[in-house]
Amino acid sequence: MNGPDLDHPLAGPFWSAAARKELQVTWCAACDRAVWYPRPHCPHCDGNLHWRRLSGEASLISWCEVAGGLNPQFREAYTCALVSPLEAPDIRIVMRVTENTTPALRCDMPGRVDFVYLQQTNGAPYLAPAFTPYA
Amino acid sequence: MPALSLRSLARAASLPAGGTAEPLEDIRGIATITGVGETAVSGPSGRDPRQMALEAVAAAIADAGLQPQDIDGLMVSGHIADQITPEDFHRHFGTPGPLWFSTEGGAMIWAATCAHEAAMAMRARRATHIVNVFAVDWATRRAAGTGTPGDWHAGEDMKAHLEVPLGWYPQPVYFATFARRYMHEYQLTEAQLAAIPLTFRRHANGHPGAVMRDRGLTLEAYLARPPLAGPLRREDCCLISDGAAAWVMSPSERAADMPRIPIHIDGVGHGRIAGAPYISQQLDLTATPQVFAAPWAYAMAETAPAEVDVIAVYDCFSSTALMQIEDLGFCRKGEGGSFVQEDRLHYARTRRQGGIPCNTHGGLLSHGYLLGASHVVELVRQLRGSAANQVTDAQRAVYAGFTADEAATLVLSRGGA
Repeated sequence: MNGPDLDHPLAGPFWSAAARKELQVTWCAACDRAVWYPRPHCPHCDGNLHWRRLSGEASLISWCEVAGGLNPQFREAYTCALVSPLEAPDIRIVMRVTENTTPALRCDMPGRVDFVYLQQTNGAPYLAPAFTPYA
Repeated sequence: MPALSLRSLARAASLPAGGTAEPLEDIRGIATITGVGETAVSGPSGRDPRQMALEAVAAAIADAGLQPQDIDGLMVSGHIADQITPEDFHRHFGTPGPLWFSTEGGAMIWAATCAHEAAMAMRARRATHIVNVFAVDWATRRAAGTGTPGDWHAGEDMKAHLEVPLGWYPQPVYFATFARRYMHEYQLTEAQLAAIPLTFRRHANGHPGAVMRDRGLTLEAYLARPPLAGPLRREDCCLISDGAAAWVMSPSERAADMPRIPIHIDGVGHGRIAGAPYISQQLDLTATPQVFAAPWAYAMAETAPAEVDVIAVYDCFSSTALMQIEDLGFCRKGEGGSFVQEDRLHYARTRRQGGIPCNTHGGLLSHGYLLGASHVVELVRQLRGSAANQVTDAQRAVYAGFTADEAATLVLSRGGA
Protein backbone atom coordinates (compact mmCIF):
# COMPACT_ATOMS: atom_id res chain seq x y z
CA MET A 1 0.00 0.00 0.00
CA ASN A 2 1.37 3.44 -0.87
CA GLY A 3 -1.09 5.74 0.87
CA PRO A 4 -4.05 5.78 3.22
CA ASP A 5 -6.92 3.36 2.69
CA LEU A 6 -10.18 5.34 2.69
CA ASP A 7 -12.15 2.09 2.72
CA HIS A 8 -10.49 0.67 5.83
CA PRO A 9 -13.33 -0.14 8.26
CA LEU A 10 -11.62 1.41 11.29
CA ALA A 11 -9.21 4.04 9.96
CA GLY A 12 -10.86 5.04 6.67
CA PRO A 13 -13.04 7.83 8.12
CA PHE A 14 -9.93 9.57 9.54
CA TRP A 15 -8.54 9.85 6.03
CA SER A 16 -11.87 10.78 4.42
CA ALA A 17 -12.10 13.63 6.93
CA ALA A 18 -8.48 14.65 6.27
CA ALA A 19 -9.30 14.85 2.56
CA ARG A 20 -11.87 17.54 3.58
CA LYS A 21 -9.25 19.17 5.85
CA GLU A 22 -11.09 18.06 8.95
CA LEU A 23 -9.54 16.37 11.99
CA GLN A 24 -11.79 13.59 13.31
CA VAL A 25 -11.32 10.93 15.97
CA THR A 26 -13.54 8.18 17.36
CA TRP A 27 -15.60 9.20 20.40
CA CYS A 28 -17.68 7.31 22.95
CA ALA A 29 -20.94 9.18 23.60
CA ALA A 30 -21.63 7.28 26.84
CA CYS A 31 -18.19 7.95 28.33
CA ASP A 32 -17.93 11.33 26.56
CA ARG A 33 -14.29 10.73 25.73
CA ALA A 34 -12.08 10.10 22.74
CA VAL A 35 -10.99 6.54 21.98
CA TRP A 36 -7.76 6.32 20.01
CA TYR A 37 -6.86 4.28 18.03
CA PRO A 38 -10.29 3.41 16.58
CA ARG A 39 -11.83 0.12 17.71
CA PRO A 40 -15.11 -1.66 17.04
CA HIS A 41 -16.40 -0.72 20.53
CA CYS A 42 -15.45 1.48 23.49
CA PRO A 43 -12.81 -0.31 25.62
CA HIS A 44 -14.29 1.27 28.76
CA CYS A 45 -18.05 0.65 28.39
CA ASP A 46 -18.24 -1.53 25.26
CA GLY A 47 -20.62 1.06 23.77
CA ASN A 48 -20.73 2.27 20.19
CA LEU A 49 -18.22 4.81 18.93
CA HIS A 50 -18.83 7.60 16.46
CA TRP A 51 -16.50 9.93 14.58
CA ARG A 52 -16.31 13.46 15.97
CA ARG A 53 -14.82 16.50 14.31
CA LEU A 54 -12.31 18.37 16.48
CA SER A 55 -11.42 22.07 16.46
CA GLY A 56 -7.80 21.53 15.43
CA GLU A 57 -6.49 23.31 18.52
CA ALA A 58 -3.70 21.09 19.81
CA SER A 59 -0.41 20.80 21.63
CA LEU A 60 2.87 19.22 20.54
CA ILE A 61 3.76 16.26 22.76
CA SER A 62 7.00 15.41 20.97
CA TRP A 63 8.52 15.15 17.52
CA CYS A 64 11.27 13.51 15.47
CA GLU A 65 13.36 14.87 12.60
CA VAL A 66 13.64 12.00 10.16
CA ALA A 67 16.70 12.05 7.90
CA GLY A 68 16.13 11.50 4.20
CA GLY A 69 16.50 7.83 3.32
CA LEU A 70 15.66 6.38 6.75
CA ASN A 71 12.06 5.73 5.76
CA PRO A 72 11.96 4.23 2.27
CA GLN A 73 8.40 5.46 1.69
CA PHE A 74 9.44 9.13 1.87
CA ARG A 75 12.61 10.19 0.05
CA GLU A 76 13.08 13.63 1.60
CA ALA A 77 13.78 14.51 5.23
CA TYR A 78 10.66 15.38 7.24
CA THR A 79 9.43 15.96 10.78
CA CYS A 80 6.64 13.96 12.34
CA ALA A 81 5.07 14.31 15.75
CA LEU A 82 2.72 13.09 18.43
CA VAL A 83 0.02 15.71 18.93
CA SER A 84 -2.74 15.92 21.56
CA PRO A 85 -5.97 17.67 20.54
CA LEU A 86 -7.42 20.27 22.93
CA GLU A 87 -10.67 18.30 23.31
CA ALA A 88 -8.86 15.03 24.11
CA PRO A 89 -5.54 15.74 25.84
CA ASP A 90 -5.13 12.07 26.81
CA ILE A 91 -4.76 10.78 23.25
CA ARG A 92 -1.94 11.36 20.80
CA ILE A 93 -2.43 11.58 17.06
CA VAL A 94 0.48 10.92 14.73
CA MET A 95 0.93 13.90 12.41
CA ARG A 96 3.48 15.74 10.36
CA VAL A 97 4.88 19.10 11.43
CA THR A 98 4.41 21.96 8.95
CA GLU A 99 7.72 22.68 7.24
CA ASN A 100 9.84 25.74 8.09
CA THR A 101 7.99 26.43 11.30
CA THR A 102 8.65 29.53 13.36
CA PRO A 103 9.11 29.56 16.32
CA ALA A 104 11.41 26.60 17.07
CA LEU A 105 9.63 23.47 18.21
CA ARG A 106 9.35 22.65 21.90
CA CYS A 107 7.33 20.05 23.76
CA ASP A 108 3.88 21.17 24.97
CA MET A 109 3.80 24.20 22.67
CA PRO A 110 0.31 25.11 21.42
CA GLY A 111 -0.65 25.18 17.78
CA ARG A 112 -3.26 24.23 15.23
CA VAL A 113 -3.72 21.32 12.88
CA ASP A 114 -3.34 22.16 9.21
CA PHE A 115 -3.37 19.77 6.28
CA VAL A 116 -0.51 19.14 3.87
CA TYR A 117 -0.10 16.93 0.83
CA LEU A 118 2.07 13.84 1.31
CA GLN A 119 3.15 11.35 -1.33
CA GLN A 120 4.75 7.96 -0.80
CA THR A 121 7.05 6.22 -3.24
CA ASN A 122 4.93 5.09 -6.22
CA GLY A 123 1.77 6.47 -4.61
CA ALA A 124 -0.73 9.27 -5.22
CA PRO A 125 -0.74 12.51 -3.17
CA TYR A 126 -3.08 12.69 -0.16
CA LEU A 127 -3.95 15.26 2.49
CA ALA A 128 -2.60 14.55 5.97
CA PRO A 129 -2.75 16.48 9.26
CA ALA A 130 0.25 18.60 10.19
CA PHE A 131 0.93 20.51 13.41
CA THR A 132 1.61 24.23 12.98
CA PRO A 133 2.86 26.05 16.09
CA TYR A 134 1.35 29.40 16.99
CA ALA A 135 3.84 32.16 16.29
CA MET B 1 12.32 -22.21 50.77
CA PRO B 2 8.51 -21.75 50.87
CA ALA B 3 6.98 -20.58 47.59
CA LEU B 4 5.64 -17.04 47.46
CA SER B 5 1.95 -16.80 46.56
CA LEU B 6 0.78 -14.77 43.57
CA ARG B 7 -0.94 -12.40 46.01
CA SER B 8 2.25 -11.76 47.99
CA LEU B 9 4.23 -11.30 44.75
CA ALA B 10 1.67 -8.78 43.48
CA ARG B 11 1.72 -6.93 46.80
CA ALA B 12 5.52 -6.82 46.91
CA ALA B 13 5.72 -5.70 43.28
CA SER B 14 3.39 -2.68 43.86
CA LEU B 15 3.11 -1.64 40.22
CA PRO B 16 2.51 1.91 38.94
CA ALA B 17 -0.49 2.88 36.78
CA GLY B 18 -0.51 2.44 33.02
CA GLY B 19 0.14 -1.26 32.64
CA THR B 20 0.03 -4.72 34.13
CA ALA B 21 2.28 -7.62 35.09
CA GLU B 22 1.68 -11.25 34.15
CA PRO B 23 0.92 -13.25 37.30
CA LEU B 24 4.00 -15.47 37.08
CA GLU B 25 4.26 -18.13 39.77
CA ASP B 26 7.31 -18.37 42.02
CA ILE B 27 9.79 -20.71 40.30
CA ARG B 28 12.83 -20.27 42.56
CA GLY B 29 15.02 -23.29 43.10
CA ILE B 30 13.79 -25.26 40.07
CA ALA B 31 16.01 -24.43 37.12
CA THR B 32 19.58 -23.39 36.39
CA ILE B 33 21.48 -22.43 33.26
CA THR B 34 24.12 -25.12 32.74
CA GLY B 35 25.46 -24.42 29.26
CA VAL B 36 25.73 -21.57 26.77
CA GLY B 37 26.68 -21.46 23.09
CA GLU B 38 26.73 -19.05 20.22
CA THR B 39 27.86 -18.62 16.63
CA ALA B 40 29.95 -15.79 15.32
CA VAL B 41 27.94 -12.56 15.18
CA SER B 42 28.36 -10.63 11.94
CA GLY B 43 27.00 -8.36 9.26
CA PRO B 44 25.57 -9.88 6.07
CA SER B 45 27.00 -13.41 5.88
CA GLY B 46 24.59 -15.46 3.81
CA ARG B 47 24.42 -17.97 6.67
CA ASP B 48 21.22 -19.97 7.06
CA PRO B 49 19.43 -19.17 10.34
CA ARG B 50 18.58 -22.83 11.01
CA GLN B 51 22.20 -23.86 10.54
CA MET B 52 23.29 -21.06 12.87
CA ALA B 53 20.70 -22.16 15.46
CA LEU B 54 21.93 -25.78 15.33
CA GLU B 55 25.54 -24.63 15.67
CA ALA B 56 24.68 -22.58 18.77
CA VAL B 57 22.63 -25.47 20.22
CA ALA B 58 25.52 -27.91 19.70
CA ALA B 59 27.90 -25.50 21.44
CA ALA B 60 25.52 -25.04 24.39
CA ILE B 61 25.00 -28.80 24.81
CA ALA B 62 28.76 -29.41 24.75
CA ASP B 63 29.31 -26.55 27.21
CA ALA B 64 26.85 -28.20 29.59
CA GLY B 65 28.76 -31.49 29.35
CA LEU B 66 25.71 -33.18 27.83
CA GLN B 67 25.03 -35.20 24.69
CA PRO B 68 22.29 -34.27 22.20
CA GLN B 69 20.21 -37.27 23.33
CA ASP B 70 20.15 -35.80 26.87
CA ILE B 71 18.10 -32.85 25.59
CA ASP B 72 14.35 -33.45 25.90
CA GLY B 73 13.07 -29.89 25.61
CA LEU B 74 13.42 -27.25 22.88
CA MET B 75 12.33 -23.62 23.01
CA VAL B 76 12.39 -21.26 20.03
CA SER B 77 10.79 -17.98 19.00
CA GLY B 78 7.27 -18.20 17.64
CA HIS B 79 7.54 -14.60 16.47
CA ILE B 80 10.62 -14.51 14.25
CA ALA B 81 10.75 -16.60 11.06
CA ASP B 82 13.09 -19.48 10.26
CA GLN B 83 13.68 -20.89 13.75
CA ILE B 84 14.40 -24.61 14.13
CA THR B 85 11.75 -27.29 14.76
CA PRO B 86 12.03 -30.58 16.72
CA GLU B 87 12.37 -32.28 13.32
CA ASP B 88 15.37 -30.08 12.47
CA PHE B 89 16.91 -30.98 15.84
CA HIS B 90 16.41 -34.73 15.36
CA ARG B 91 17.65 -34.67 11.77
CA HIS B 92 20.78 -32.75 12.69
CA PHE B 93 21.74 -34.65 15.85
CA GLY B 94 20.33 -38.07 14.93
CA THR B 95 18.32 -38.20 18.15
CA PRO B 96 15.14 -40.29 18.31
CA GLY B 97 13.49 -39.37 21.62
CA PRO B 98 10.45 -37.21 22.32
CA LEU B 99 11.15 -33.49 22.59
CA TRP B 100 8.98 -31.12 24.62
CA PHE B 101 8.64 -28.10 22.33
CA SER B 102 7.66 -24.50 22.99
CA THR B 103 7.51 -21.46 20.72
CA GLU B 104 7.51 -19.19 23.80
CA GLY B 105 11.31 -19.02 23.73
CA GLY B 106 13.89 -17.06 21.76
CA ALA B 107 15.11 -13.52 22.47
CA MET B 108 13.69 -10.08 23.40
CA ILE B 109 11.24 -10.59 26.32
CA TRP B 110 11.23 -14.33 25.69
CA ALA B 111 14.92 -14.57 26.62
CA ALA B 112 13.65 -13.83 30.14
CA THR B 113 10.23 -15.51 30.15
CA CYS B 114 11.56 -18.75 28.61
CA ALA B 115 13.26 -19.37 31.95
CA HIS B 116 9.88 -19.31 33.67
CA GLU B 117 8.29 -21.52 31.02
CA ALA B 118 11.19 -23.98 31.30
CA ALA B 119 10.98 -24.10 35.10
CA MET B 120 7.24 -24.79 34.90
CA ALA B 121 7.89 -27.60 32.39
CA MET B 122 10.51 -29.11 34.71
CA ARG B 123 8.17 -28.86 37.69
CA ALA B 124 5.49 -30.71 35.68
CA ARG B 125 8.10 -33.34 34.64
CA ARG B 126 7.56 -32.56 30.97
CA ALA B 127 11.26 -32.10 30.32
CA THR B 128 14.63 -32.31 32.06
CA HIS B 129 17.31 -30.57 30.00
CA ILE B 130 15.76 -27.79 27.90
CA VAL B 131 17.63 -25.75 25.30
CA ASN B 132 16.46 -22.28 24.28
CA VAL B 133 17.82 -20.98 20.99
CA PHE B 134 17.47 -17.86 18.86
CA ALA B 135 18.84 -17.21 15.37
CA VAL B 136 18.53 -14.18 13.13
CA ASP B 137 19.77 -13.31 9.64
CA TRP B 138 18.45 -9.77 9.35
CA ALA B 139 21.82 -8.44 8.15
CA THR B 140 21.65 -10.80 5.18
CA ARG B 141 17.95 -10.11 4.63
CA ARG B 142 18.35 -6.34 4.72
CA ALA B 143 21.27 -6.48 2.28
CA ALA B 144 19.17 -8.67 -0.02
CA GLY B 145 16.07 -6.49 0.34
CA THR B 146 14.03 -9.44 1.60
CA GLY B 147 13.09 -8.19 5.04
CA THR B 148 13.68 -5.64 7.78
CA PRO B 149 13.05 -5.40 11.53
CA GLY B 150 10.23 -2.97 10.67
CA ASP B 151 8.10 -5.54 8.86
CA TRP B 152 5.90 -6.44 11.84
CA HIS B 153 5.24 -2.77 12.57
CA ALA B 154 4.39 -2.01 8.95
CA GLY B 155 1.95 -4.92 8.89
CA GLU B 156 0.05 -4.28 12.14
CA ASP B 157 -3.42 -2.97 11.21
CA MET B 158 -3.63 0.35 13.08
CA LYS B 159 0.06 1.14 12.66
CA ALA B 160 -0.24 0.47 8.95
CA HIS B 161 -3.20 2.84 8.62
CA LEU B 162 -2.60 5.60 11.18
CA GLU B 163 1.19 5.74 11.64
CA VAL B 164 2.95 4.54 8.48
CA PRO B 165 1.07 6.90 6.06
CA LEU B 166 2.22 9.82 8.24
CA GLY B 167 5.84 8.66 8.39
CA TRP B 168 5.94 7.58 12.04
CA TYR B 169 8.00 4.56 11.03
CA PRO B 170 10.39 2.68 11.30
CA GLN B 171 11.44 2.05 14.92
CA PRO B 172 14.15 4.75 15.21
CA VAL B 173 11.37 7.30 14.66
CA TYR B 174 9.33 5.96 17.59
CA PHE B 175 12.18 5.98 20.05
CA ALA B 176 13.57 9.32 18.89
CA THR B 177 10.14 10.84 19.57
CA PHE B 178 10.19 9.39 23.09
CA ALA B 179 13.82 10.46 23.62
CA ARG B 180 12.89 14.03 22.68
CA ARG B 181 10.09 14.01 25.23
CA TYR B 182 12.46 12.62 27.85
CA MET B 183 14.98 15.39 27.07
CA HIS B 184 12.22 17.95 27.60
CA GLU B 185 10.97 16.53 30.89
CA TYR B 186 14.34 15.73 32.46
CA GLN B 187 16.81 18.11 30.74
CA LEU B 188 18.83 15.23 29.29
CA THR B 189 21.52 16.48 26.87
CA GLU B 190 22.86 14.71 23.79
CA ALA B 191 26.33 14.67 25.38
CA GLN B 192 24.89 12.89 28.44
CA LEU B 193 23.07 10.33 26.29
CA ALA B 194 26.37 9.68 24.47
CA ALA B 195 27.71 7.92 27.58
CA ILE B 196 25.60 4.89 26.64
CA PRO B 197 26.87 4.25 23.10
CA LEU B 198 30.41 5.24 24.14
CA THR B 199 30.55 2.88 27.13
CA PHE B 200 28.99 0.00 25.20
CA ARG B 201 31.48 0.59 22.37
CA ARG B 202 34.39 0.40 24.83
CA HIS B 203 32.98 -2.90 26.07
CA ALA B 204 32.79 -4.16 22.47
CA ASN B 205 36.39 -3.05 21.92
CA GLY B 206 37.38 -5.48 24.68
CA HIS B 207 35.17 -8.35 23.54
CA PRO B 208 36.57 -10.66 20.83
CA GLY B 209 33.10 -11.62 19.55
CA ALA B 210 31.73 -8.10 19.12
CA VAL B 211 30.97 -6.80 15.63
CA MET B 212 32.44 -3.39 16.59
CA ARG B 213 35.51 -4.77 18.41
CA ASP B 214 37.93 -2.84 16.16
CA ARG B 215 35.93 0.39 15.84
CA GLY B 216 36.55 3.09 18.42
CA LEU B 217 34.12 5.93 19.17
CA THR B 218 34.88 9.28 20.79
CA LEU B 219 32.47 11.85 22.16
CA GLU B 220 33.66 14.35 19.55
CA ALA B 221 33.01 11.89 16.72
CA TYR B 222 29.61 11.02 18.18
CA LEU B 223 28.50 14.65 18.48
CA ALA B 224 29.74 15.41 14.96
CA ARG B 225 27.47 12.76 13.46
CA PRO B 226 24.22 14.00 11.87
CA PRO B 227 20.90 12.94 13.40
CA LEU B 228 19.34 9.86 11.79
CA ALA B 229 16.06 10.28 13.63
CA GLY B 230 16.68 13.43 15.64
CA PRO B 231 17.70 13.52 18.44
CA LEU B 232 19.11 10.02 17.81
CA ARG B 233 22.21 9.37 15.70
CA ARG B 234 23.12 6.11 13.98
CA GLU B 235 25.37 5.30 16.98
CA ASP B 236 22.26 5.42 19.19
CA CYS B 237 20.61 2.67 17.12
CA CYS B 238 21.26 -1.07 17.26
CA LEU B 239 23.29 -2.93 14.68
CA ILE B 240 21.61 -5.30 12.25
CA SER B 241 23.30 -8.70 12.46
CA ASP B 242 23.42 -12.39 11.60
CA GLY B 243 24.02 -14.93 14.38
CA ALA B 244 22.58 -17.30 16.93
CA ALA B 245 22.82 -17.95 20.66
CA ALA B 246 21.51 -20.75 22.87
CA TRP B 247 21.50 -21.92 26.46
CA VAL B 248 20.67 -25.15 28.28
CA MET B 249 18.42 -25.05 31.35
CA SER B 250 18.58 -28.02 33.73
CA PRO B 251 16.95 -29.00 37.03
CA SER B 252 18.76 -27.37 39.95
CA GLU B 253 19.24 -30.67 41.77
CA ARG B 254 21.20 -32.05 38.80
CA ALA B 255 23.32 -28.95 38.20
CA ALA B 256 25.76 -29.73 41.04
CA ASP B 257 26.89 -32.83 39.11
CA MET B 258 27.42 -30.92 35.86
CA PRO B 259 30.75 -29.39 34.83
CA ARG B 260 29.93 -25.68 34.86
CA ILE B 261 29.16 -23.39 37.78
CA PRO B 262 25.35 -23.49 37.98
CA ILE B 263 23.59 -20.20 37.26
CA HIS B 264 20.33 -20.13 39.19
CA ILE B 265 17.09 -18.74 37.78
CA ASP B 266 15.80 -16.74 40.75
CA GLY B 267 13.11 -14.43 39.39
CA VAL B 268 11.14 -13.58 36.26
CA GLY B 269 8.80 -10.67 35.57
CA HIS B 270 6.73 -9.82 32.49
CA GLY B 271 4.86 -6.54 32.04
CA ARG B 272 2.94 -4.73 29.34
CA ILE B 273 1.48 -1.29 28.80
CA ALA B 274 -2.25 -0.69 28.83
CA GLY B 275 -3.51 -0.48 25.25
CA ALA B 276 -0.69 -2.64 23.86
CA PRO B 277 0.69 -2.70 21.23
CA TYR B 278 0.15 1.04 20.62
CA ILE B 279 3.17 2.68 22.25
CA SER B 280 2.15 6.12 20.91
CA GLN B 281 -0.67 6.02 23.49
CA GLN B 282 1.24 4.70 26.52
CA LEU B 283 0.65 6.68 29.69
CA ASP B 284 4.28 7.68 30.22
CA LEU B 285 6.36 8.18 27.07
CA THR B 286 9.50 8.58 29.19
CA ALA B 287 9.25 5.11 30.77
CA THR B 288 9.27 1.54 29.50
CA PRO B 289 7.08 -1.43 30.50
CA GLN B 290 10.11 -2.53 32.51
CA VAL B 291 8.35 -0.66 35.36
CA PHE B 292 5.70 -3.43 35.29
CA ALA B 293 8.14 -6.34 34.87
CA ALA B 294 11.14 -5.66 37.11
CA PRO B 295 9.31 -5.30 40.47
CA TRP B 296 7.72 -8.74 40.00
CA ALA B 297 11.08 -10.35 39.22
CA TYR B 298 12.74 -8.70 42.23
CA ALA B 299 9.84 -9.77 44.47
CA MET B 300 10.18 -13.38 43.31
CA ALA B 301 13.96 -13.37 43.76
CA GLU B 302 13.59 -11.49 47.06
CA THR B 303 16.29 -9.11 45.93
CA ALA B 304 16.71 -5.46 44.97
CA PRO B 305 18.82 -3.39 42.57
CA ALA B 306 21.37 -2.69 45.33
CA GLU B 307 22.16 -6.43 45.40
CA VAL B 308 22.75 -6.74 41.63
CA ASP B 309 26.32 -6.75 40.28
CA VAL B 310 25.85 -6.63 36.50
CA ILE B 311 22.97 -6.04 34.08
CA ALA B 312 22.26 -6.55 30.39
CA VAL B 313 19.58 -4.29 28.97
CA TYR B 314 17.77 -4.54 25.62
CA ASP B 315 19.44 -1.53 24.01
CA CYS B 316 17.65 -1.31 20.67
CA PHE B 317 18.29 2.42 21.15
CA SER B 318 20.51 4.26 23.63
CA SER B 319 17.53 6.11 25.04
CA THR B 320 15.63 2.85 25.58
CA ALA B 321 18.59 1.52 27.57
CA LEU B 322 18.69 4.73 29.62
CA MET B 323 15.01 4.49 30.49
CA GLN B 324 15.25 0.81 31.40
CA ILE B 325 18.23 1.42 33.70
CA GLU B 326 15.93 3.81 35.57
CA ASP B 327 12.92 1.51 35.34
CA LEU B 328 15.00 -1.36 36.75
CA GLY B 329 15.59 0.83 39.80
CA PHE B 330 19.28 1.67 39.49
CA CYS B 331 18.49 5.38 39.75
CA ARG B 332 15.36 7.48 40.01
CA LYS B 333 13.24 8.41 36.99
CA GLY B 334 14.79 11.42 35.31
CA GLU B 335 18.23 10.95 36.89
CA GLY B 336 19.49 8.49 34.27
CA GLY B 337 21.32 11.14 32.27
CA SER B 338 23.59 12.06 35.17
CA PHE B 339 23.73 8.48 36.53
CA VAL B 340 25.32 7.04 33.38
CA GLN B 341 28.20 9.56 33.45
CA GLU B 342 31.64 8.92 35.00
CA ASP B 343 31.87 5.36 33.67
CA ARG B 344 29.08 4.14 35.93
CA LEU B 345 28.05 1.56 33.29
CA HIS B 346 31.63 0.42 32.64
CA TYR B 347 32.52 -3.12 33.72
CA ALA B 348 35.48 -1.97 35.80
CA ARG B 349 33.32 0.30 37.96
CA THR B 350 31.40 -2.08 40.17
CA ARG B 351 28.24 -1.66 42.19
CA ARG B 352 30.27 -0.95 45.31
CA GLN B 353 31.85 1.99 43.51
CA GLY B 354 28.45 3.45 42.67
CA GLY B 355 28.02 2.00 39.21
CA ILE B 356 26.15 -0.84 37.58
CA PRO B 357 28.15 -2.59 34.84
CA CYS B 358 25.79 -2.75 31.85
CA ASN B 359 26.00 -4.56 28.50
CA THR B 360 29.56 -5.66 29.14
CA HIS B 361 29.72 -7.39 25.72
CA GLY B 362 28.80 -4.21 23.87
CA GLY B 363 25.03 -4.71 23.66
CA LEU B 364 22.82 -4.44 20.60
CA LEU B 365 24.58 -1.15 19.84
CA SER B 366 28.10 -2.56 19.47
CA HIS B 367 28.24 -6.34 20.05
CA GLY B 368 25.52 -7.50 17.68
CA TYR B 369 21.78 -7.55 17.20
CA LEU B 370 20.78 -10.97 18.46
CA LEU B 371 17.77 -9.31 20.11
CA GLY B 372 18.99 -9.97 23.65
CA ALA B 373 19.99 -13.65 23.34
CA SER B 374 23.68 -12.70 23.55
CA HIS B 375 22.86 -10.56 26.58
CA VAL B 376 21.87 -13.66 28.56
CA VAL B 377 24.94 -15.60 27.38
CA GLU B 378 27.10 -12.67 28.52
CA LEU B 379 25.49 -12.59 31.97
CA VAL B 380 26.08 -16.33 32.40
CA ARG B 381 29.75 -15.78 31.57
CA GLN B 382 29.92 -12.87 34.03
CA LEU B 383 28.49 -15.01 36.83
CA ARG B 384 30.85 -17.88 35.96
CA GLY B 385 33.77 -15.45 36.09
CA SER B 386 34.77 -16.09 32.47
CA ALA B 387 33.66 -12.91 30.69
CA ALA B 388 35.96 -10.92 28.41
CA ASN B 389 35.22 -7.76 30.39
CA GLN B 390 34.88 -9.46 33.75
CA VAL B 391 33.10 -7.66 36.59
CA THR B 392 34.88 -8.35 39.89
CA ASP B 393 33.06 -10.95 42.01
CA ALA B 394 29.79 -10.90 40.05
CA GLN B 395 27.22 -12.86 42.09
CA ARG B 396 23.86 -11.64 40.81
CA ALA B 397 22.79 -10.43 37.35
CA VAL B 398 19.66 -9.03 35.72
CA TYR B 399 18.59 -9.20 32.08
CA ALA B 400 16.02 -6.66 30.88
CA GLY B 401 14.15 -7.75 27.73
CA PHE B 402 11.95 -5.44 25.70
CA THR B 403 9.64 -5.42 22.70
CA ALA B 404 8.41 -1.79 23.10
CA ASP B 405 4.91 -2.50 24.46
CA GLU B 406 6.14 -5.36 26.67
CA ALA B 407 9.18 -5.93 28.87
CA ALA B 408 10.52 -8.84 30.89
CA THR B 409 13.11 -9.22 33.62
CA LEU B 410 15.29 -12.21 34.51
CA VAL B 411 17.23 -12.41 37.79
CA LEU B 412 20.16 -14.86 37.81
CA SER B 413 22.68 -15.77 40.51
CA ARG B 414 25.90 -17.72 40.74
CA GLY B 415 25.57 -21.06 42.47
CA GLY B 416 28.15 -22.70 44.70
CA ALA B 417 31.27 -23.90 42.86
